[in-house]
Formats: sequence, structure tokens, C-alpha cells
Amino acid sequence: MAQVAYAGASRVYPGANSVRAVDGLDLCVGDGEFLVLVGPSGSGKSTALRMAAGLEDVDEGAISIGERDVTHLPPKDRDIAMVFQSYALYPHMSVRDNMAFSLKLRGMPKSDIGGKVEEAAGLLDLTTYLDRKPKALSGGQRQRVAMGRAIVREPSVFLMDEPLSNLDAKLRVETRANIAALQRRLATTTIYVTHDQVEAMTMGDRVAVLRDGVLQQCASPRELYDTPRNVFVAGFIGSPAMNLLTLPVDGGAVKLGELEVRLPAPAASGEVTIGVRPESLSLVGAGEDGFDLQVELVEELGADAYVHGTLAGHDEKLVVRADGRTPPRLGEAVRVALRDTGEVHVFDPESGLRIDAD
Amino acid sequence: MTAVVEAPPSPEPPSTRTRAQQRSSAWKRRAPLLPALLFTIAVTQVPFLVTVFYSFQSWNMVRPGSQHFVGFDNYVDVFTDSVFLGALGNTVTITVVCVLVAMLLGLGLALLLDRQFLGRGIVRTLLITPFLILPAAGALLWKTTMFDPTYGLLNWAFGIEVEWLSDYPLAAVMTQIVWQWTPFMMLLILAGLQAQSREVLEAAQVDGAGRWRTFVSITLPQLSRYLQLAVLLGAIYIVNSFDAIYLMTQGGPGTASTNLPYYIYQRAFEGFDVGQSSAMGVVVVALTLIVATFALRLMFRAFDVSRGVK
Ligand SMILES: Nc1ncnc2c1ncn2[C@@H]1O[C@H](COP(=O)(O)OP(=O)(O)OP(=O)(O)O)[C@@H](O)[C@H]1O
Ligand SMILES: [Mg+2]
Repeated sequence: MAQVAYAGASRVYPGANSVRAVDGLDLCVGDGEFLVLVGPSGSGKSTALRMAAGLEDVDEGAISIGERDVTHLPPKDRDIAMVFQSYALYPHMSVRDNMAFSLKLRGMPKSDIGGKVEEAAGLLDLTTYLDRKPKALSGGQRQRVAMGRAIVREPSVFLMDEPLSNLDAKLRVETRANIAALQRRLATTTIYVTHDQVEAMTMGDRVAVLRDGVLQQCASPRELYDTPRNVFVAGFIGSPAMNLLTLPVDGGAVKLGELEVRLPAPAASGEVTIGVRPESLSLVGAGEDGFDLQVELVEELGADAYVHGTLAGHDEKLVVRADGRTPPRLGEAVRVALRDTGEVHVFDPESGLRIDAD
Repeated sequence: MTAVVEAPPSPEPPSTRTRAQQRSSAWKRRAPLLPALLFTIAVTQVPFLVTVFYSFQSWNMVRPGSQHFVGFDNYVDVFTDSVFLGALGNTVTITVVCVLVAMLLGLGLALLLDRQFLGRGIVRTLLITPFLILPAAGALLWKTTMFDPTYGLLNWAFGIEVEWLSDYPLAAVMTQIVWQWTPFMMLLILAGLQAQSREVLEAAQVDGAGRWRTFVSITLPQLSRYLQLAVLLGAIYIVNSFDAIYLMTQGGPGTASTNLPYYIYQRAFEGFDVGQSSAMGVVVVALTLIVATFALRLMFRAFDVSRGVK
């Protein structure tokens, strides 16, 4: 067991215009913690993970695992196990040999290896497939073999790069829960890369959001959701995304259509960007406090419906969560109210940073 | 939605179609391939059958009218002919040694070419060149510029005076063949190396395998198909080597570097003994078939590398 610490770690791909794929990453993953790295495509998640694995050079800064500085150690000396997006199973070996490979390399006696492999196979429900080759397995089974290969080694850190992205939606939900449960049971420090924010929110003890190689915020899922540090995190976390509007400030308040929203924070004059989650808005009867919305699209998800529309008199787009049983019709004008002014997030329109009350 | 209810009027369920109908439609489908089949039979099977026929005749073209049926006499002569047996031995030596050496060299070069370095494209092109040169030109090149006792580069480089072609005829011929075939092996193996998944190699690294271990346990097993193909194709071509021997040593001195194709050529076109050379040809074809089907299969079962670490 060990903690993983990035200290100003950067990966710079050389070239005519060099790419800073990971830029000065400062991040500490606690012992036994499940940390999820999330961000849009190309944000450097895989690169950051591969730096910890030793598959990618660290051009600036340092990385340590446990108390050891591993910045320049080869992967085999880092005591880590990695699960790849493509699973990267050894195609010419049976499931058993795939799992046993690292143990054999370590020179563990044959009898012990057999026991360990059986144990891991039992844990992952793979016992009946032990003698098959990877190509005779389904995607979900391959995924489990990849997990098994990581588990048998009892490494001090698990690194997983989008291990669920090749599974179908239903299997993904199931496997998501299994991986999280397994990690809790083994209590092994884990860094998990995903671009799926539902995975990020449901699995991680903490979630680190990356953008263009720069860490935006690292916090618990709740905190990330409730107090995003900047506009990017606010827009990235949550589905559908938070409504973000840049509006002029007038006497400590902004006007959302006819609705005057008192800013919880003393914003400077000029403009602010406010963020309102779709579930902070609701449809109300005409004449109540609120603003009018021209309905342009209704997404019905069963329990809920998301109403996309334009603020009457502006061209700002908004999404509102509504009851799934009585959704408004297209082209209709509806009245929308804000649940609580405390649920409005305020950001500086220039820096994008959150402005908090006092 | 009535259209769904109405069953489409099927003229005749497929099961009731008669055998004859099926057969005729099958022939119709295959008919376009017939010319190719006839051509193949005409240019490969007919000559072979004619050769088999000749091999049962005593027929020397120098003595017209001598042609008559002799049964298996030619075959008996072939197997008691010490030159033939010597040539057979030489053929086996040349094939085995050249295929193995060319494959090992090719593997080494492919491994070097599989990594990134400055000028890789140029190096690759240069390495392929021997394969692009006409075999006869390559043989002449080695005979003159490399092995010549007075102005050959080899003697000049080592400061010695060796008659390579008469002192070490077989080795000299094999050197040329290896030189010619190494690029072929290299290209095949390089294709195999580059077809490997990078993530699988990385997984092995993370699992604790060093370079050598990764090569032995991951790369080599995945290459085995390519190596098999390389051995098979290489052997087929090298068994038939003729240019190098004809141009460099003429099978000599004596019959020291005579291989089967060259010996058959000598018997047929210098000795004009159609019967004998036909019998030899048939024997060679039979041996090659046996080797191709059994020996190769056995060989790959014996060193079946696709098992992983033991
Ligand atoms: N060899 C390379 N040379 C130059 N730039 C590279 C190289 N490899 C990756 N990059 C760049 O580094 C950045 C980060 O890549 P990375 O693979 O870490 O993204 P990611 O967050 O994992 O994205 P995804 O979700 O699509 O997998 C990208 O902008 C990519 O273009
Ligand atoms: Mg990635």
C-alpha cells in the first residue's frame, strides 16, 4: 500500500510546437484512495497515468510512490499494475498464463502461483475460463481477465486507463460497481482514468478534473458538484451540463428575463457569469415568480424530462429539469422558477474563477 | 398492415429443388474459373506427367532411336549414383544453413529497424537492396568484386590470398544466397514486429518483464507465424537455387558445390540423358513434397514457441 504523489510533474512532447500534454501536475493520492482522473478527450489523462506507470517520461518535476522517488525508475521496479483500455492481454497465453505471467517473472513457486490465480479467478468469476485463450472470450470476460492480471500481483498501486469504455452500457454499470467494490475490499491505492463523468462521480473517493494538461480541481464528487472552482469544472461535471450565462450586474443582482437574481456574492460591477443547474430550475404556473422560456426541445428520460429552450427576449439557451409525466410541448412558452438563490454559482467572466460569498 | 399477413407466393421451396438443378447451378458458378484451371493443369501437371513418363525410359538424345522402356532402372541408377547423393547432401546443407542464417540475421536487423533512429528510411532501403538485385547479377558481383583471388575485396580487406571459390566453394555460394535472402526475411519479420500491439508490450513491461524477457515471452511467440512463413518461403526458393552455383562455381571444384537443380541441369542439358534427369526430377519433387508436408510440420510442433514462459 502506498500513496502516489505528483510534484509539478510535466510531460512535454518535443517538436516544432512542443505539446505540454501534462503541465505541472501537483496531486497526491492517499494510501488506499480511489482517485478518478477525468477530463475531455486530449486533456492528458492517459499521459498522467502513464507517467505514474513509467511508460512516459517525466520531463519536469517528480513522481513518488510510497516514500520512493520513482521518477526515473522503469515500470517493472515501481510495483504497480495497470489495466489498459484495450486490455492488452497476451494473445498467445491462456487466461491462467496471462494472470500468472508476472508471478512467474517474480520467481514465485509454482504451487503458490496456482493458488493465487485460482483465488483471483474465483473473485472475478473466471474459474471456468482459465484454460481459454483471450480471443475466445467476450469483451466483458476479457475485461475481467485484465483486472485479474492486475489483482494477482497485489501491487501497491492500480492504474486503470478507461477500462470500461469497450463495454456496452449495461455491462459498464455492472462492472463499475464491481470494480469499486473490489477496490474497497482490497484497499489498494487506485488511479482511474475516464472521460465518463458518471463513472467519475460514482466511483471516486476524489475526482481530479484535467483540462489541456492542467489540473482544474481535485475534490470529492459532492464538493466538485456543489462548489466547482471554475467555469470549466462547473460545465464539465453534471449531466446535462450546468446552464452558464454571462449577464450584466445591476445593483448586486442580475436579471434572468423578468426574474431578478440577488447574487450571493458581492460581485464587482460589470458582468458576471452565473451557473444554474437544470435541477435548480422548475416549471411553475403562469404568473408566479420566474421567467418565460420558449421550449425548443424536450428530452424525455422517463422519470425526468429536460426542457431545452430560449430565454424569452434574449438568445440565451437554458435547460430545465421537469417532471417526466407532464412535459411541455414544443414551441410552448413556459414559466420557470428558481428553487433557491443559494444554488446559483457565480464566476468571474474573465478568469472563470468562482466568486464565493464573502 | 395486410401485406404482412399475406404470404408471398413462393414459386417452389428450396428444399424441393432437385440435385441435378443444384449441380448445374454450381457448375455455372464455377465455369468462369475453368480456363484458369485448364491453364494451370496444362503448365504444371502435364509436364510433370510427361516427366514421369520419360523417367521410365532409357533415352539419351545423343543416340537417336535409343528410346525404350526400362521400368525402374533409372531410379535404381539415381539412388546408386554417388554424385546424386552428394548433390542431395549439398542441397540439404545449403537450404538448412542459408534459411537459418538468413532468418537469424533478418531477425536481428528487423529488431534494429523496429526502433526509432535518425535516417531509418535510408538504412531500410539500403538493407532491402540485395533482394532487389537480379540474382544473377548478385552472384556475379560476389564472384568478381568480393571473392576474386587477385582483385576481390575480401582478400584486400583481410590482406590474405585465398581462393575462396575453389577452397570454400559451398561456403562461398551460401554466403551469396544468405546475402540475397536476408532482406526478405528481415521484411517479413519486421512486418510481424510492427503488427504487435504496443499496449501488450507495455503490459509486459508493467508486469515486470525486462527487454529480454519481453522478447522471449511476448514478441517471439507472436512472431512464430511470421517465422514459419519465412522459413517455408525461404526454403522453397533456396532449394531451387541455381544462379549462384551456375555463375560462381559451376558446381565445382569437381562436384563440391553441386546441388540438385544444377546436377539435373547438367545431366539433361550437358549429358542429354533425358531418362535419368527425369527420374531425378521426379525424386526431387517427391522429396520436396515429403519435406514440405511432414518435416516442416514436425519442426514447428517440436519448437512450438507459442506457449509462453515455462
Ligand atoms: N507522441 C505524442 N506527440 C505529441 N503529442 C502527443 C503525443 N501523445 C499524445 N500527445 C498529445 O498529448 C495530449 C494528451 O493526450 P492523452 O492521450 O493523455 O489524452 P487523454 O486525456 O487520455 O484523451 P482521451 O480521453 O482521448 O484518451 C493530447 O493533446 C495529445 O495530442
Ligand atoms: Mg486516453
